[in-house]
Amino acid sequence: MRLRRMLAVWAAKITEKACVHIFHRQGVTWAGKIALKICPSILKELAGQVKKDIFIVCGTNGKTTTNNMLCAAIEAEGYRVVCNHTGSNMLNGVAAAFALSAGIGGDLRADYACIEIDEASTRRVFPHFKPDYMVLTNLFRDQLDRYGEIDITMNILKEVMQDAPKMKVIVNGDDALSAFLAMDSGNEYITYGISEQVVDDKDSHEIREGRFCKRCGAPLEYRFYHYSQLGDYACSGCGFRRPVPDYDGTDIEMGGGLAFTVEGRRLRADYKGFYNIYNILAAYAAVRTGGIDAGHFNGMLAGFNPENGRMEGFRIRDTKVVLNLAKNPAGFNQNISAVMQDTAPKDVVIVINDNAQDGTDISWLWDVDFDRFKEANTQAITVSGIRCYDMGLRLKYVDIPAMLEPDVEKAVRERIANGCGNLYVLVNYTALFSTRNVLKRLEGEK
Amino acid sequence: MTDVTGKKITIGHLYPDLLNLYGDRGNIACMMQRCIWRGIEAETIEFNTGDTIDFSKLDIVLLGGGSDREQAIVCRNLLEIQEQFKSYVEDDGVVIAVCGGYQLLGKYYKTDAGTIEGLDLVDIYTEQEEGRLIDNIVLQSDLADMPVVGFENHGGRTYINDNQPFGRVLYGSGNDGRSGYEGVVYKNVIGTYLHGPLLPKNPQICDHLIGKALEKKYGEVKLEPLDDHLEKEANAYIYHRFVKG
Repeated sequence: MRLRRMLAVWAAKITEKACVHIFHRQGVTWAGKIALKICPSILKELAGQVKKDIFIVCGTNGKTTTNNMLCAAIEAEGYRVVCNHTGSNMLNGVAAAFALSAGIGGDLRADYACIEIDEASTRRVFPHFKPDYMVLTNLFRDQLDRYGEIDITMNILKEVMQDAPKMKVIVNGDDALSAFLAMDSGNEYITYGISEQVVDDKDSHEIREGRFCKRCGAPLEYRFYHYSQLGDYACSGCGFRRPVPDYDGTDIEMGGGLAFTVEGRRLRADYKGFYNIYNILAAYAAVRTGGIDAGHFNGMLAGFNPENGRMEGFRIRDTKVVLNLAKNPAGFNQNISAVMQDTAPKDVVIVINDNAQDGTDISWLWDVDFDRFKEANTQAITVSGIRCYDMGLRLKYVDIPAMLEPDVEKAVRERIANGCGNLYVLVNYTALFSTRNVLKRLEGEK
Repeated sequence: MTDVTGKKITIGHLYPDLLNLYGDRGNIACMMQRCIWRGIEAETIEFNTGDTIDFSKLDIVLLGGGSDREQAIVCRNLLEIQEQFKSYVEDDGVVIAVCGGYQLLGKYYKTDAGTIEGLDLVDIYTEQEEGRLIDNIVLQSDLADMPVVGFENHGGRTYINDNQPFGRVLYGSGNDGRSGYEGVVYKNVIGTYLHGPLLPKNPQICDHLIGKALEKKYGEVKLEPLDDHLEKEANAYIYHRFVKG
C-alpha cells in the first residue's frame, strides 16, 4: 500500500502545482480527488500517522478563520500541523490537505491536524478517520437549496457525533442549536461563550433561528442577544438553558480592534467584527481543551492575517480596500456591523453570484438587514456579480440607490477612480476567488 | 378611480416565528413599498403562534414557508383559526401562501414522518415523494404579462384537482414535476412554491394582490404604474438565462 500512497501523494502535488501555474486556479480539490482515486485509503492512512490529535471545525460561519487560527496557535507552541488553509472543506479538499502535507516518501510528519469540514461532508469524511475534537461554531441558515433545512444539517451532525463517541465537542454555548446538539449527542462537550451583554440587539429585526426549544418545542426566552440567535437563552418549558461557559470571554472591548479576557488572559487582536471574538474564543478553547499550553496565543494573534478574503486588506493606488466574505444572512449582518465599526466615509461594492458552491438560491439576500447601510456613512454602493440585479432590487426595496455593474473588475476600477479612498468589497463564496484575483492584480498595477 | 388618499392596506404575516424560510420578508417589503410609493398607507401585523387573529382587520394574509418540523407545530395553531380563515377566503380575502404555507392551504401534507392536517381552504393535497425539486423556475401566468420567475425547493408534490394553476411551467418542476403546472389560484388566494422571494421580481403579481385587496375594501381602484425597470431587468435576466437560452 505504501507505493500506492506514494504515487497518490506525487499525483496530488503535481496536480496542485499544474492547476496553480498553468490554469491559475486553486487545484486543491482536484489534487484530493486524484489522490483518493489512486489510493482510496490515503486519507485513512495519513490521518492515522498524525502523532497527537485531530481537530475538526464545523459550523455555518467562522470555520476557516477559526481553523486557521487554531492551526497557527498550535504551531506557535512549536508543533507541526496539517491544515486545509484554503477552506476546501469537502472530502476532496480534506484528502488534499493530508496528501499535500506528506513527504515524497508518502509519509506524514505531523503532530496535529486542524481540518475544517463542511457540515454535510462530515458524513463522507468520518469513514476515513475519527477526529479527537470537533469545534462547533454556530448553525445559521445557509444554502438552503443544498441542505434543505437547518434540521437536516443538525441530523447529519448528530449522526457523525454518535458515530465518533470518543470525540470531544467544543461548542459555542451561546447558540441554542449547537449547544443542544452537543448535549443531545451523548459525546463529552466543553463550552465557550460570552456571558456579558455587549450590544443591545433586542429590537433588531434580524432573522433568528431556533426560537423554539429543540428538546421540548416550547419558546425559548432570551435575556439578551449578541447577534442572530446567539445570546443568553432559557427554555420556558423544560430545563434546557444556556450552559455556563467553560471558556467565558469577559470585559469585551471593541474599538479599533478587539480585546477580551479568558482564563485570566487578556487577548488582543487587530481585526474588526464582533464575530471574530467568537472565532478567537473557539480557537483558544480548542487549544486549551486539547491540553496544549497557550502561552504564545497573543503573539500568534498579533501576526495572524485572516487572509482568504476574511477582512483581507489591499491598497490600490490611494484607496484602502477591505475584502470580506459574506455568504449567508448571519454572516452578512455581522459584516455590515464590521463595516459600521469604521465610521469614516466609505464606498461599498457587493458581489453576488449564484454558482453551485454559493447555493443557487439567493433568496437569503432578503433576510439580510441591508437598511443598516443607511447609517453606515456610505458614499456609494455598487452591486456586481451574476445576480447583481437581484442585489440591486434588494437595495431598492429599502430605498437605497445602487449602481449596477455586472463585471467585478469594472465595478472596482470605477470606485478606485471616483470613490472616496475607503472601499469595502463584500462578496459571496464563488465571487471571493475571482474578486481576490482582481484586487491582487490591481494592487500590483502601477 | 385613482385617488388613493386615506386608503390603507393591512397585511397579516402569519407565524413568522415559525414560518420564515426563504426570504418571506422580501414579499412583505415588496407589498409595503409598492403601496407606500403610491401613497397608500400600509401596515404589517405579525401574528406569532398563540396570538389571536382578527381576520376582519386584514386585507392581505401572507403564509410563508417553514421546515417540516415547524410546519407541524404551526398546523396545531392553524386548526384553531381554521373556521375564521375559511370564511375570510370564501369572502374573497386576499391570501399569498408560499412553499410550506401553500402546502398548508390544502387538505393534508403526507410526509414520511406522518400526515400533517391542512387548513382545507382549497381542495388540494400534498404528498412527500423521493427527491427534492430544487432549481430556478419560470412560469407563464394569466395574472401577469411578464413571465413569473422564482426559485423552488420542495420535497412535497402538490395535486390541485380541478383548480386553476398559478401558471404553466416554462422551466423547472412545478407542483409535482409532471403536470407542467405550478401553484394554485382559488378566488383571491394564490398558493405557490415560488420563493426567491416571489414578489420583488414579479411586480405584476404583487400589484395583482394589492389591487384585489383595494378592490375588495374600496371598490374599483386603478393602481398608478411605478418605475419598474430594475424589476423588469431582474425578471428578464432569469427568463433569458433559463428559457430563452
